Amino acid sequence: MNIIGAYPTFYVPYLGSAWVMGIIGVIHVVASHTSVGASFLFAILETKAYRDNQPELLDFIKRYGLFLLVFSYVIGSITGPGIWYAITVASPRGVSGLIHNFVWVWATEWVYFTVEVIGVYALVYLIGKVDPLTHLKLTWSFALSSWATMLLIVGILSFMMWPGNEAWYETGSTNDAFYNLNFFAHLGIRTGSMFVMAVVVGFVVASGVKDTALKTSVIRMLAPIGIVGGFFAVMMFLYYLQTLPTNALVMLRSHLLPRYADGMILVFVVTTLYLSIGWARPQLIRPTIAAALLLFLATIGVWPEERMRESMRKPFVVGQYIYGNQIIARDAPGKGVVAEVDAIAEKGLLSLHPFVPERLRTINSDNRFEVGELLAKIACSNCHALEPGAPCAVCPTSSTARPTKT
Amino acid sequence: MTTSSMMIAMRDPAGVPGPPALFEALFVGTWVLHIAFVLLTLGACALSIVGFLLRERDPHWATLSSSMTSVAKIGVSLLIVLGVAPLLFTQVIYDPQWYASNVLSASWAIAFIGSLIVAYCLWFVFYAKNKKAAGRPIVFYAIGALTILLLDGLIMHVLTYQSLLPERWMEWYAPNGVVDTSGTKLHAIQWSRYLFMISLSAPAVGLFLLAYSDYLASRQDIDSGYLSFARTLGAKVAIVGLPASLALLLWWLVDLSKDNDLISHPLAWLLVVSFLTLFLLVKKASVPGRGYALLAAGAPILCLVSLWREIVRVAALSPFGYSISDYKVNIDWPSTILFVTTLVGVGGLVGGFFLTVSYEAGRVQNVYTASPNVARLGVGAVTVLILWLSIFFTYGAAIWVRNAFLP
Repeated sequence: MNIIGAYPTFYVPYLGSAWVMGIIGVIHVVASHTSVGASFLFAILETKAYRDNQPELLDFIKRYGLFLLVFSYVIGSITGPGIWYAITVASPRGVSGLIHNFVWVWATEWVYFTVEVIGVYALVYLIGKVDPLTHLKLTWSFALSSWATMLLIVGILSFMMWPGNEAWYETGSTNDAFYNLNFFAHLGIRTGSMFVMAVVVGFVVASGVKDTALKTSVIRMLAPIGIVGGFFAVMMFLYYLQTLPTNALVMLRSHLLPRYADGMILVFVVTTLYLSIGWARPQLIRPTIAAALLLFLATIGVWPEERMRESMRKPFVVGQYIYGNQIIARDAPGKGVVAEVDAIAEKGLLSLHPFVPERLRTINSDNRFEVGELLAKIACSNCHALEPGAPCAVCPTSSTARPTKT
Repeated sequence: MTTSSMMIAMRDPAGVPGPPALFEALFVGTWVLHIAFVLLTLGACALSIVGFLLRERDPHWATLSSSMTSVAKIGVSLLIVLGVAPLLFTQVIYDPQWYASNVLSASWAIAFIGSLIVAYCLWFVFYAKNKKAAGRPIVFYAIGALTILLLDGLIMHVLTYQSLLPERWMEWYAPNGVVDTSGTKLHAIQWSRYLFMISLSAPAVGLFLLAYSDYLASRQDIDSGYLSFARTLGAKVAIVGLPASLALLLWWLVDLSKDNDLISHPLAWLLVVSFLTLFLLVKKASVPGRGYALLAAGAPILCLVSLWREIVRVAALSPFGYSISDYKVNIDWPSTILFVTTLVGVGGLVGGFFLTVSYEAGRVQNVYTASPNVARLGVGAVTVLILWLSIFFTYGAAIWVRNAFLP
């Protein structure tokens, strides 16, 4: 091996590129989970409206749908590709590894995604403009399509953690990659939490409804769905922990749980309490409280959850065969993938990396700090920043350690 | 190390899970859908603004502005979702080029996302405020949104164009040997190409207006004078826009001839001829009842433009020995079958149901009641989804159990 397939490096001072990805990711998760969860709430509410002849429930669906169009289908649909762009520039080989394993799965998700976008406009703007049964079919089709987008992406995301066994490395089959060990547990967490988020956002929308009877009726219907969703998500999270690789558990116990466990418990308790109060006393739900709870859930609940999922994978970024620094960690004979670690150990990263300027390939007294900085960026910047005091600083004294030239 | 060996090494070691030519065809084909909505959206944005500014001259302008504002709003959603597919397929066969170009202008790639959100939000504000009594200053929301969308188009153009210039990547990444990891520069712009692409939004929205006036012709509640106004305007915009696009195409061809002999390529001249043909068609046949046909006549041009982009890409990369035909192939049948069956079953039945209901409902003034065929289509949509989910879980559980428990 005379060259490895590495790319140029993108470095974000202080934050690190991983945090840029994380910030976009959290926004996307909140918007997309709300959207999928809301699609089922719409279907449930509309079924009730149809069966019990309660057309006023459709007013709420329309109101929530219009909110969703901006909240989820503007922000959510743009941040979806946004995550892609962010991981492209932060981990080009990581995203490449995923694309080359799962392109057909992603293409399948795209079919659903296209159907979903057409569906949300049809659903919202055709309320009252098509016969009720046709609209109900439309709403259920929309809900099932929305959930399918989640099913498909979860298989890819959970493979990022690890396949869970040797099957994929040997066969290279998408079957073995997609239905990995933690797929169902991960799907359970996201399915449960999508209901919680959709109900919390539903409370934001319902809290602004002036018709008291409608507000009460909707909040009473939504609250138990959110509570059950929350319990289910927690149960699935506990199961998910049993499906993790050793490196993830080490990271979790030593670094992540001590930092985030209290917040996660608090989120569960506060949200359950809030939803229970909503169920018991719907009129207490006010727009400011509802919006504050949504913000609380996003920052204290979703951010740590996504941060933990990202961090637990490390030092790998994809399927325990690509490291965060884009180097292939192990062989995957099923795909003909060969590890690069030995070659780098033998010849050095400076020699094998295609994007190292010629003058920096050989270390001398004039360039050694420049070379060191470049190597640190190549090898560490996917997870860390170099500046002292940065959130994930790897070299806390890097700037002070640099000696002045004499 | 040569540029050629570098690009070959940068290919994903897992190979591609299907024939590279198939991904190339999907890339070219799905880009047509994406760009169609990009062009329609930009054209609709521009017309919304013009219509808003001219609304006091003729009330039809106000109606048109409001209507085009909605078209642009939905257009942005669709251009984003339809843009996912070409973005996906290009990464399969042109991963070295796409990733390198993105990382080299990484800050812009990230800014693209933030700015697109801002543009879309501004457009929503304009959409909400674009009412009869609205004051003039609200047009600045629309102008701001359109300006940002044009900037986003420029960013996408740069990312594509940079990917065609691999011999310059190192010089951009480390000018004079000093590495720049900030990704804050847009390194290469080909104005002729960018302006040609943007200019296509004029004929696109012009043809759309011709079809739009035919679509609404069955509505008793819509003033026939407005439809006539929209049709005349559409024809005018297309008649002015097509020669303008043709002129920019010729500029692009001249630009390309500096580096290679693409100007003599038959497809280049087929493109020129197709522009002239469409121009004559619109001039002679933009009468009521021909709108759909004229809109459809624009589709082959977009297909040719998409194919032309691919020819330009192949011509730019072949001197470096880069050809998708020698990409390692690891065919993956299960996921291929998953995609094809979903595209046909779900795309056809569910997408077909949504589009049919939307189309039919838009043509009636009152509540639309589904015909028996549309009702059956609705049942088919729900059924195919339940079937898909059942197979997904049954099949998945079998594989999961085999891998988790069986030796």
